[in-house]
Amino acid sequence: MPWALRDVTFHVGPGEMLGIVGANGAGKSTLLRLLGGIGRPTEGKISTRGRVGALLDLGGGFLGDLTGRENAMLAGVVAGLLRREMNERLDQIVAFAELEDFIDEPVRTYSTGMMMRLAFSVAVHTDPEILLVDEFLSVGDLAFQAKCHAKITAMRESGCAIVMVSHGMDQVRDLCDRALWLKPGEVAAFGSADVVSNLYETEMRQETLRRTPAGPKRKLGNGAELVPRENRFGTFEMEIVSVDHPESIRSGEPLAITLGYNAPKRIDAPVFVVSITREDGTVCLDTNTLLSRTEVPDLTGEGKLRFILDRLDLSAGQYFLDVGVFENEWKHAYDYHWHAHPFTVNGAPNHKGLVAPPSRWEMVR
Amino acid sequence: MTPELVQPLPVATSTTSRRWLHAWDVLVLLTLRDLKAQYKRSFLGFGWALGSPILQLIIFSTIFRNVLGSQIPHYPCFVYIGVLVWGWFQGALGQSTGLITGNSALARQPGFPLSLLPHVTVSVRLFHFIVAWPLLFGMMWYEGLRPNASWWALPILLTLQYFLAVGLAYPLASLNALHRDTQHIVAVLLQLMMFVTPVFYNIHVVPEELRHWFYLNPMTSLLDAWRAVLLEGKWPDPHSLWILSAASLILIVGGRRIFIAQSHRFVEEM
Repeated sequence: MPWALRDVTFHVGPGEMLGIVGANGAGKSTLLRLLGGIGRPTEGKISTRGRVGALLDLGGGFLGDLTGRENAMLAGVVAGLLRREMNERLDQIVAFAELEDFIDEPVRTYSTGMMMRLAFSVAVHTDPEILLVDEFLSVGDLAFQAKCHAKITAMRESGCAIVMVSHGMDQVRDLCDRALWLKPGEVAAFGSADVVSNLYETEMRQETLRRTPAGPKRKLGNGAELVPRENRFGTFEMEIVSVDHPESIRSGEPLAITLGYNAPKRIDAPVFVVSITREDGTVCLDTNTLLSRTEVPDLTGEGKLRFILDRLDLSAGQYFLDVGVFENEWKHAYDYHWHAHPFTVNGAPNHKGLVAPPSRWEMVR
Repeated sequence: MTPELVQPLPVATSTTSRRWLHAWDVLVLLTLRDLKAQYKRSFLGFGWALGSPILQLIIFSTIFRNVLGSQIPHYPCFVYIGVLVWGWFQGALGQSTGLITGNSALARQPGFPLSLLPHVTVSVRLFHFIVAWPLLFGMMWYEGLRPNASWWALPILLTLQYFLAVGLAYPLASLNALHRDTQHIVAVLLQLMMFVTPVFYNIHVVPEELRHWFYLNPMTSLLDAWRAVLLEGKWPDPHSLWILSAASLILIVGGRRIFIAQSHRFVEEM
């Protein structure tokens, strides 16, 4: 029988944050549950010191007929706090979850988002010394997510050790000190968050290369010639069929790029990527729909997506637009165009470096 | 926009007294949760808790009064005590099989004291038991039965039955988490057990040779004890009380040990 996890060894100290990455089925959730004391390892030992809080099953224990307040009390006490302590915190919890008007209504009247906000709020206010997070769930609107982000950072600063399963390499690089990359039955890498996430992405690139079929060249409407395995990579389960952008802009002007896609079969919530690189390969801009927290629905058939830069303050020169659409969990690319779409930035003669924002000199008396 | 951060309130580190206090808090909250869940949207609410025993009382005393009850003084009280005491036992054990399986979200919480769950089930049923007392005492007063010194034994009997039920709940809950047919077997066994417990008849109806078989059933001696105090105003037989105490103690300590040892398997099975 195959091992779910094998030879996994690591340590997380107070105030440290460990990211756990890997494809689905690699054992990430199993590891998290073992850390929480649920289930016992067949071999080896897990030692934890301190109270464990978990963001594992948000809202799973909520009873529809009880009010939000009653459920919060229950969840907090079940997580290890005394009733007295929960009473002290209840106002904070309700305020954080932004549910003041609904807290005394039965939970069955809540939306999923409301339930998750409440569950999250309770979990982070129980002052755990170890926090286990199964995917930093995007709960609530941007402002709420910023609050969650800040709260987790604050918890780290007060000495909480956090272990988080994540699919976003940028999140791992941003938040985590170290990362553990799991593959089914083995540890692929363990080390600093930067290194491991780059390794993971490299493998993703290699996987993409491996899966790119050697195919015919394509000429897009704007004259770009795409040669698979040279400047075009991906499995082509979904393709970017057109990339509309101005040939040149003046520095400081807005830039709009319209991507036309075609997905013959339904693709679940893909991630679109746009980056701008200089001729010498320097990356000037790199963003994607996941980072921007833009919700991309499941796509079928043809359609268009537009990326808009309100202003592009680059110095004059030749640049490339690298566009791509990737699998939802960064396993590989569907279609990625590298250095295939050139454009020029004109103007800004008073700058030599990378960026050319509006600027002036003043004599200070 | 910087979100406002409230200074976290410190939580006391874990000590033994804190663990006991926490266990009590969990017990109270979960018991309240179960009670509210049962009755929150129902019309008669707790009235239903009284309904079933009263119905049984009426059926037994009218149907059996002339057949089995003619030699038993205060037959309605006799039956009512049997129905209530047995009802607490049967209800608690019947629910205990579903303890882990019905509380999977709690079982998955890291650090949750699973061994408290049987206490919750038995306490919920105890609440129903107590709710029926005013009616029972009213009936007894009407029949001329008055409290006396022997009533000091009642808390002892209550505690004994509580420990007996919890002690049996542990292995039942463990078994059912691993083998789901346990709950059905237990339900059927409890039904049968009701007939071999003198709920609506007196033990004297049973021929002498068979009587000690009936006394293997702990509820038989317990029921005798309850009736001795309430109906006859006598202190219950100390001999059987000692045996019951020993049995309950062994069940609780041993049952709990087994439960805790097996607990890591529960979550895997779910």
